[in-house]
Amino acid sequence: MEILDIITPLFLALAVGGTFVGIVFGAIPGMTATMAIAVCLPLTYSLGLENGLALLLGLYVGGISGGLVPAILLGIPGTPSSITTTFDGYPMSQKGEGEKALRIGIIASLVGGLISLGILYFFAPVLADFAIRFSYVEKFLIILFALTVMAALSSDLLMGIFSGFLGIFISLIGVYDITDGGNGELRLIPPGLEYWLDGGFSLLPVLIGVFGLAAILEQAEVGVPKGQSMADVKIGRDSSFSFSIFRGQVGNLVRSSGIGTFVGILPGVGGSAASILSYSAAKTFSKTPERFGKGEPAGIVASESANNGLTGGALVPLLSLGIPGDAATAILIGAFTLQGIQVGPLFIGNNPQTWEAMVIAMIVANLAMFTMMYFAIRMFARVVTVPKHILFPIILMMCVIGAYTINYGIMFDVWTLLIFGLFGWLGVKLRLEIAPFVIGFILGPSAEIYFVKSLEAFGDATIFFTKSWIAVVLWVLILGSLTASVYLAKRGKGGEATP
Amino acid sequence: MTLNRRTLLAAASAIALAATSFAAAAQELPRNVRLVIGSSSTGGDTYQNSAIVAEALAEKLGIRIKVDAVGVGEAYKALDRDSRGTTLMMFHDQAYLGNLYGVTGYADPFENYIIGPSVAINPGNAYLVPKNSPYQSMEDILTAAENGEKVRVAIQPGGVSEIGFTAMKNAARVRAPGSEENIVALNTGSQSDKNQAMWDGLADVINGSIQANEQFTQLPEDDQKAMRFVWITAGGAVLEQAPPEGMGDTTRDQLLKYASPETSVTLDGEKDFTFDKEFFFLFNKDMDPAIIDQIDAALTEVFEEGAIQERQKASFFIPNFRASDESRAHFEEKRDTYRRVIDELKSGS
Amino acid sequence: MGELTRITIDFQTSHLIFPTLVGGVLALLGLAILLTRWRGIVGAGGHWAGIWSQMDKPRLLGTVVLTVIYFSLMVPVGDVWPNRGFGFLICSIPYVFLTGLLFLHDRGWRDILPVAVMALIAPSLVWWTFTELFFLTLP
Repeated sequence: MEILDIITPLFLALAVGGTFVGIVFGAIPGMTATMAIAVCLPLTYSLGLENGLALLLGLYVGGISGGLVPAILLGIPGTPSSITTTFDGYPMSQKGEGEKALRIGIIASLVGGLISLGILYFFAPVLADFAIRFSYVEKFLIILFALTVMAALSSDLLMGIFSGFLGIFISLIGVYDITDGGNGELRLIPPGLEYWLDGGFSLLPVLIGVFGLAAILEQAEVGVPKGQSMADVKIGRDSSFSFSIFRGQVGNLVRSSGIGTFVGILPGVGGSAASILSYSAAKTFSKTPERFGKGEPAGIVASESANNGLTGGALVPLLSLGIPGDAATAILIGAFTLQGIQVGPLFIGNNPQTWEAMVIAMIVANLAMFTMMYFAIRMFARVVTVPKHILFPIILMMCVIGAYTINYGIMFDVWTLLIFGLFGWLGVKLRLEIAPFVIGFILGPSAEIYFVKSLEAFGDATIFFTKSWIAVVLWVLILGSLTASVYLAKRGKGGEATP
Repeated sequence: MTLNRRTLLAAASAIALAATSFAAAAQELPRNVRLVIGSSSTGGDTYQNSAIVAEALAEKLGIRIKVDAVGVGEAYKALDRDSRGTTLMMFHDQAYLGNLYGVTGYADPFENYIIGPSVAINPGNAYLVPKNSPYQSMEDILTAAENGEKVRVAIQPGGVSEIGFTAMKNAARVRAPGSEENIVALNTGSQSDKNQAMWDGLADVINGSIQANEQFTQLPEDDQKAMRFVWITAGGAVLEQAPPEGMGDTTRDQLLKYASPETSVTLDGEKDFTFDKEFFFLFNKDMDPAIIDQIDAALTEVFEEGAIQERQKASFFIPNFRASDESRAHFEEKRDTYRRVIDELKSGS
Repeated sequence: MGELTRITIDFQTSHLIFPTLVGGVLALLGLAILLTRWRGIVGAGGHWAGIWSQMDKPRLLGTVVLTVIYFSLMVPVGDVWPNRGFGFLICSIPYVFLTGLLFLHDRGWRDILPVAVMALIAPSLVWWTFTELFFLTLP
């Protein structure tokens, strides 16, 4: 079969339609790309492999990209991987630069997606061989590097790091999961709560709790001031977007896309780690690191190009090892097995047409994503002009849907949303810092598994330093990031003293 | 709610009096059923198998069945809450193996739930070694253990992945008591972790599956990722029902070489140990027996029609329908066999 | 390096290692906060009193109470018609309406009408999309 026989109008329509549905899922707080793929997986059986994949890959690209919309406009990450987008996107919205932030995010997404596709297409097998050199030890160090961003994101170093460790601590509540390599025992559960907490708190309800519900509670506390929106988004000339913003961002774009792609390639490191790592790197290498977290375009660029870079990267282990690179690609495996196609080291060689069709579907999805989102910016931006007394109740309801459906129907996840909504609201008053807390919560479980398994398997504490040259490089990065944060914190204090 | 339930029960018993194989039997199961599964993955074999069965059953009964991958703990909770037949569960041998291995959260399914019909076998559970491993066969591995060599086996503890490891230890004990000490577990998690343990040189043998690992066995020996099957736990009689083309570039006949009787891991010195991963329904203990009869009858018809078998085989499942009573007896016997092996190993060491 | 750095991990108790470690660091950091900020913590009474007095109590507490009622009713209501998602639909309409009303400042008919209309449309649309179109489970 020729490749042109596969690329039919139906194939293209499915890729574009999938992207559209994906964007909608991604843009709704609590709905994720993973969920969109899971929902549409059964449809692919009757569509055939290539057409089914076109749909699912469209959903994947759209779902990851759509997350930037609520992240920027409402400060609620639409998907876990757009968490770092909120750090600078939302402050920009508050300053009235929401539209500009959206444009930056969408362009960065496209670039990230295309760079990672290029890497996927030309280097997949080589990279897979490199990725398997990352054992428990190297994966732990990667997570540790990502965790150093806690320090970088803290406005008060001590409280920030405390909040980060609190996030890790709370993420460990519940079972030490057997499917991740744990022993299945429970820990840290207050007596009497075993029935509810045996599975711990799920990530997504925690995220939309501390970002979504907490924000609405804060608004309620001040009486939901009248006015049109959470933020006055300036539409039109005032928003002053021009491509010159990307001048000087080329390095950031390429580095972040590369980090996103590479994290995607490593099985088990997790999608959200990609944007956290690249954000951390962008801040470390920036000439103006103090502007990060206050509405710095480079932060959005780093975050969004990394999470779209992930899409190509996560397909590398899937197609060359038969192992998914993140949660969404884990469901993609289902699409292959439904059609009786094996994925593994021989997939690309045995199914060249399917492979090319996938790459083409990804290119189409990325371009469709860009076109649709770029021209819908005005529409997105209008969301925040909806009066608060109408917008907030609907956001609350959508958060409930997201929390309930993320694990296919668990009521405790909805209560988690409320618990962490209250926690987020109260935490700010206790001077806890939400960003490091969330980073700790996201990365805690992987940090545990890889740390404990490193010691368990190698039986020697020095292994973290002696395992490989990769480990040494990672230590250099970790120390670099920490030094930069401490230096910045000192300089920040000095700056405050002399206004 | 009571009214609803009473109507339901009345309808159910009325129909139970009439012939069960009638289309009107659809009155018994509610029109909207939720099938929770013991796995939280929608890309895995439990989900795939459940989706095939749910679709066929829903079509037969003219109802809607939704498959929800909530994972074992939440699935049990959902099942506990509902005895009206609106929530059913699908899982595999892990249900009782988790209980036998004493994993937290695994209640005894025979005591707390009703075991329903079985629907399929996934014959893929396998053990592999690196392609350049000195061990050519299970025989070599057991001999090595007998000679005092440590053999490290990467598994995910507490269930389906561990049972084959337990069988290896048991076989070592039967051959040369004491040698089972030389077969040691490396506790890992997902398939990716197990493969990685092999490539890191942490494990000599890994647990895997025909589906996920076959392509690695086709790689040239100089590729660091190359693997070789040493044991497929499914019995030869089961594996023979797989499509003759087997999986990937490995034919069924080639696969049969790694399964009993050609590859023998002994249970007691005479019989071979085998393990088939079977999928079956679990019901709330108080669910109306008429609903179980209805599901049994509907599935009997579905399997008589024969279309579902084609779909199962296309996804490398072996069709394996047993109505509830037969299924329950079968799993009790299976559980007792494995319990003996696990207990004897515990007392021996 | 040899003996000093060798570590043997007992798998049976390995679930406690990392929590102990993180808990320890957390305790140390907590102690450091107490030591460096004890003045602020002791004097925090005024901070909290200020928060309490400035709080829009009806709106904040009302939101929390409505949300608790909303979450508590969803499952029992949904159980009457199993697996249809009606619990979500039936509870969401009054919830969206009442929180909207709570957040509203001028409660004339002209202001309430759009809230009421949205409270009917939004949950229904969402319910239809997710249960009928995407076949997801709602309470």
